[in-house]
Amino acid sequence: MSGKRMLLSAIALVAILGTACGPTPTPAMKEVTLTAWTIGPDEPSYYRRDNLIAAGEALNKELAAEKANVRVKVEATFDTGAWGDFKQKFFLAAQAGTAPDIILSGHEDVAPWSDAGFILDLSDHIKKYWDKTYKDIIPGLWKSVEYKGKRWAIPQDTEARPMYFSKTLLKKLGWSDADIAALPDKIKRGEFTLYDLLTVAKEAQDKGVVAKGYGYWSRPRKGGDFYSVYFSFGGEMQDPTTGKLVVVKDALLKHFQFHYDTVFTSKTTPEGFIGKEWKDWHETVSKGDKVLFWNGGTWHWAEWTTKYLGGNEQHLWDNVGFALFPAGEKGKKPVTLSHPLVYMVTKSSKNPDLAFRLLTLATTPELNTKHAVNSGHLAILTTQITHPEYAKAKFLQQTAYMPEYAGYQPNHADYGPYDTILWTALSAVMGGQTTPEKAVDTVVKDLTAELKDKVVIR
Amino acid sequence: MNRHNLGGEGRAVALPSPVVRERALVRLRDLASPVFFLGPAGLAVVVFFLVPVLLTLWIGLTDMSVATISNIQFVGAENYVRMLTARYTPRILQNTFFYVFTTLGLFNVGMGLAIALLTTHIEERAGTLFRTLWLLPRITPSVIYALLWTWATADAPFGIFNQLLSPLGVTSQNWLSTQPWAIVIAANGFVGASFSMIIFTSAIKAIPQDYIVAAKVDGASTWQIICRITVPMIRWPIMFVTAYQTLSLLTSFEYILLLTDGGPGFYRTEVWALHAFHRALSNYFGNVQFGYGAALAAVLVVIGIIASVAYLRIFRFGQMVAEPKIEVR
Repeated sequence: MSGKRMLLSAIALVAILGTACGPTPTPAMKEVTLTAWTIGPDEPSYYRRDNLIAAGEALNKELAAEKANVRVKVEATFDTGAWGDFKQKFFLAAQAGTAPDIILSGHEDVAPWSDAGFILDLSDHIKKYWDKTYKDIIPGLWKSVEYKGKRWAIPQDTEARPMYFSKTLLKKLGWSDADIAALPDKIKRGEFTLYDLLTVAKEAQDKGVVAKGYGYWSRPRKGGDFYSVYFSFGGEMQDPTTGKLVVVKDALLKHFQFHYDTVFTSKTTPEGFIGKEWKDWHETVSKGDKVLFWNGGTWHWAEWTTKYLGGNEQHLWDNVGFALFPAGEKGKKPVTLSHPLVYMVTKSSKNPDLAFRLLTLATTPELNTKHAVNSGHLAILTTQITHPEYAKAKFLQQTAYMPEYAGYQPNHADYGPYDTILWTALSAVMGGQTTPEKAVDTVVKDLTAELKDKVVIR
Repeated sequence: MNRHNLGGEGRAVALPSPVVRERALVRLRDLASPVFFLGPAGLAVVVFFLVPVLLTLWIGLTDMSVATISNIQFVGAENYVRMLTARYTPRILQNTFFYVFTTLGLFNVGMGLAIALLTTHIEERAGTLFRTLWLLPRITPSVIYALLWTWATADAPFGIFNQLLSPLGVTSQNWLSTQPWAIVIAANGFVGASFSMIIFTSAIKAIPQDYIVAAKVDGASTWQIICRITVPMIRWPIMFVTAYQTLSLLTSFEYILLLTDGGPGFYRTEVWALHAFHRALSNYFGNVQFGYGAALAAVLVVIGIIASVAYLRIFRFGQMVAEPKIEVR
């Protein structure tokens, strides 16, 4: 045997012995991909996705500390398209068994999606991590993820939908700085009602401060915001005892009448307003120099700043004010609508425990504050309120009182058809296709025909 | 008949004679060609039409929805009864016929024929250029095309309609909200007209020039030539386009969905196919009703089949595909 051959044989022998006598080899590391679909649609809400990715890193650190032989890779998407399309994409995927591990959506989807078996009951998981994480969630928010006595989701954020007003235009109308500064409190006390708002808006139009039809703007397309008016006249959507859907006829009539009046009586909203492009709506209201009153969401503040004002938030502070949605009439309370978004773990998930742990690690004061400050959403954790970054966010601090006045849309499997019937009637009223009285009549007939005893007409 | 002893039991089995076998083989050979050529198409029809229709019919007899998907119940004709008694059914049916026949008459046949006639009566290159431009809406993705209409019809100061019409004294408005049918039909029609324009142009160009020249020699005006020679000679393509586009419009709703989503208000532009989509697939807050949507779709299939049979009879399809009476060798 040549020297070279001997050397090679020796090396091979040592290698074999080394392998045989060395420590037991660790089993192969497994990488699990966790997928998540999130949505804005407002662009600044991208931390709904990014926080999950950040939580993925934290989860891997925990797994390494536990010496687990698994690591996660988070593949999360952030959608800026329409809600309807996003939800459609999800339920088609869920039916096909190809849904992501985690889905973010509105709390109202908890009911139909849990009934359909698309999402998992998280009650036991939440209990397990209660002391570590979940006892920090603002208690009122748990109601939004509960259905049939179980908790199906983790709150991700919440918001309020204020009534915005143009300080500049009110000043032009002759209001003093003190009057303008006092308006939010006046609304809070119920002293300035929705019809007071229309009176001021009409006055501004008559005096040429704003153009005709620019006195008051609601949102331009379908959405929950319109129900603020219904709530402000004392409307209710769900019976807390029976869980059945509810329509209060008197409040519904006033809700329709108010929207009819703003278009056809005081003409403070233009005819043919419903269907206006969102982009045109934002461009018109965001500078605070064309429309006197308009209602939107707290997240719009961030959207206007970044997308329409080139980052100049001061412009909004100088020109735009915000308050609760005024009471419908004297003696009623001001309101706002809140629509918590929630993370759910789907039945398609092959790793539901890891998916839940990811959500738990995404629920921290740091990550949620990052999202809230960036996108104009309100705190979901009690410790966020005192978080230095949250405390510095002037807009969030000044709107922090609003959730106390918030109404929610119901968690009910048939809320979809209920909402469609109410929305169709409202858009017909605003389009001049019917009168408020006839619209109420139509809603009652349609709801009774479609939902039968699942709805209570009061 | 030949008899052969097969096996130990001694039973005699009759085998076919060579003549019979020959005939069977010929029959098999005759069958092979149609099966070979029609098989793939037949399979496609079964997989992509027959099976979905049967599935739709079945789903239409259940209460399938997002909420009940894990526990589907057979409900018989309940969805059909609900459809017949629904307050908006007559309105949606009326919308459907209005949409189909207005779009068809004004644009998909009318405008297509007008463009074909005009562009074949002007200078060849100009005609070709015009037709090419007219194809642009068809090759533009639907969403972008609909978005262009939305922008163009937006209220002041955004929409170009208002910018052009305001100086003429027309009140500025959101045209999609105030005149939804006009915009929906025009948007659909400009795309639909391009299809018939191509078919009619090629049919017009295929008319032997002898007829035109002879008519001109006899002193016929252009209008007379169009009415008495051109249009009668392209009647088959006109019939084909009418039948095809009727069925196509009955089931199409993409531009309505993108432009008005069936609104505004009480189903102002909601057509049957869009209604089925809304019920079966579209979701804003929660539940969608696959069962009821499928029942609506099943009715559309029936309407489509009735319309097809009616067109085949009215337009004497049998006559069109009959063997020619003169054989040219």
